[in-house]
Amino acid sequence: MSISITRPSTPPSLAPLLRTSINNQQNQQQQEEDADGDIPMVSSAGDVSIVTPGEVVTSNPQWMRGHGTYLVEDREAGGMNIVATVAGTVQKVNKLLSVRPLKARYQPEIGDLVVGRIVEVQSKRWKVDINSAQNSALLLSSINLPGGILRKRTSTDELQIRTFFSEGDLLVAEVQSLFQDGSASLHTRSLKYGKLRNGYLIRVSSRGIQRARSQVVSLATANGGGEVEVVLGVNGYVWIAKKANTAPTEGVSITRLEEEASEAIYSSKNDFILPATRREIARIGNCIRAMVRCNLRVDEDMLNAVYEVAVEAADQGEENVDASLEGEEGRRVVEIALARKMGL
Amino acid sequence: MIANPVLAISLLTLLCLRIDGRRWNELRRFHAQLSTQPAAADGSSMVEHGNTKVVCTVVGPAEVSQRSKMLHDRASVTVEVTFAAFSGTDRKRRLKSDKRVQEMRTMLQRTFSQAIMTHLHPRSEITISLHVLSQDGGVLAACINATTLGLIDAGIPMSDYVVGMSAGSSSATTSAAVSFEEAADPLLDVNHIEEGELPHLTVATLGATDNITLLTMESKVHLAMMEGMLAAAVDGCRKLREMLDEVVRAHGTEVARNGAL
Repeated sequence: MSISITRPSTPPSLAPLLRTSINNQQNQQQQEEDADGDIPMVSSAGDVSIVTPGEVVTSNPQWMRGHGTYLVEDREAGGMNIVATVAGTVQKVNKLLSVRPLKARYQPEIGDLVVGRIVEVQSKRWKVDINSAQNSALLLSSINLPGGILRKRTSTDELQIRTFFSEGDLLVAEVQSLFQDGSASLHTRSLKYGKLRNGYLIRVSSRGIQRARSQVVSLATANGGGEVEVVLGVNGYVWIAKKANTAPTEGVSITRLEEEASEAIYSSKNDFILPATRREIARIGNCIRAMVRCNLRVDEDMLNAVYEVAVEAADQGEENVDASLEGEEGRRVVEIALARKMGL
Repeated sequence: MIANPVLAISLLTLLCLRIDGRRWNELRRFHAQLSTQPAAADGSSMVEHGNTKVVCTVVGPAEVSQRSKMLHDRASVTVEVTFAAFSGTDRKRRLKSDKRVQEMRTMLQRTFSQAIMTHLHPRSEITISLHVLSQDGGVLAACINATTLGLIDAGIPMSDYVVGMSAGSSSATTSAAVSFEEAADPLLDVNHIEEGELPHLTVATLGATDNITLLTMESKVHLAMMEGMLAAAVDGCRKLREMLDEVVRAHGTEVARNGAL
């Protein structure tokens, strides 16, 4: 039996909106019909073409399938089709064709700087939540000992494993290696890494953080907030804290490890933080959330620009400004910052 | 407007319209949205089929919540279905241990374990939470569609869209008709009233093909009516896949516009 399905009639107010979306689709389809019969990564109009699950990306046998795709036999034409499994953009590296999802959980890669939370303490290692598909491992042998002593880890260290990190502690670390199943092993064997205190954690989508030369940003805040340090973990966890005032060290020791990796590095006690600093830390957090909400990627320049606008906005309108930067106000602030950055 | 309800009903039957004024092959107003709770979960969606409204949140692939759920070669899929007490016509709390809710959970879990490429995320868990906010027929179909959108939003790889659709068959005209084949009159996308009166089924298909991944029917029906219902539901699925695809594309273009990709 032949059936024609009719869609419900749309209310009149939505009609103009729908018409534009249909036009867009037609444009897309025209652009997709390339000479090679495959889909361009970025169309001439500047907007990105999206593929959705089940969509045939190409039937051209010259391409190899990468992440986000699978092969299906084409019954009619013969040969194999590369079909997308996620909604995202098509990426081509040489002859490898992959689909990058619009949003996905963090997938660890060696060398990534991540912020994590200890969820489990085992006899020789910790399990760390880094927002990926599985918890990562931090071995007892891949941390710095207090005092910077370099030696083999003994059973004494194993017994007092909770004096270094215990459940719930936050830390910044680097991905040292990956296991077969994709889970990560971390290390904190640098003075840049280790336990976090004097600040607060915000969690955003890992797609919201731009990989940069340095993931640690130092901001000179307004209103007497002092220096604030932002650790942009590529896994989407962001740590915002008061910058520790390190005394200028004279080059006495060769490694400086002994001096700086003192007992204090595993301290869980927060310093007293002035209300002004707390306010600015919260403002930076709100800026980051607003940027991610506007589908913008956070990096040092952009964060500086948005923070500047947020401070100005708070200075000007005293009562009406929504300091939480939720909703419209956040979008406005981000747009001003973006426009200013484009103008420069 | 017709003031007399009896007259209104008879007029509807005269025009071969259904109780809510639709023709047999018309869908209800369909509305869907992605990333409704971006902070609460990895993926979220909201789907409305007429007055049926379902919210879905997807967390994962993440570390397993219980050791027993860990599968060494693939991800495990956990589904939770919650009915809001105010979702039906009479206020009633449905427990999670309710047989009906449990059955729905199992059906969804099996359907999506097949569609999701679970082998790509071994030892992890994908948690799908569904909240039924308002029920007006076709709840299972709405749950399926909401889950598909939620999974796409979470960036979890699937072989294709899984699309659900319900269909019924009106048998009221059998008195005059010669045979069941002639009397069979499929109705697409049944609402709550039709669900109560007529035999109905729910179908889920994988993508634009006729591959049925879920088929459930709880009512007794003559075999001759089955084919029409099934054909209507499968064609409804195909149409709905296009509509879901439009929603995903519109959302993707919006995300991509600011250069977040």
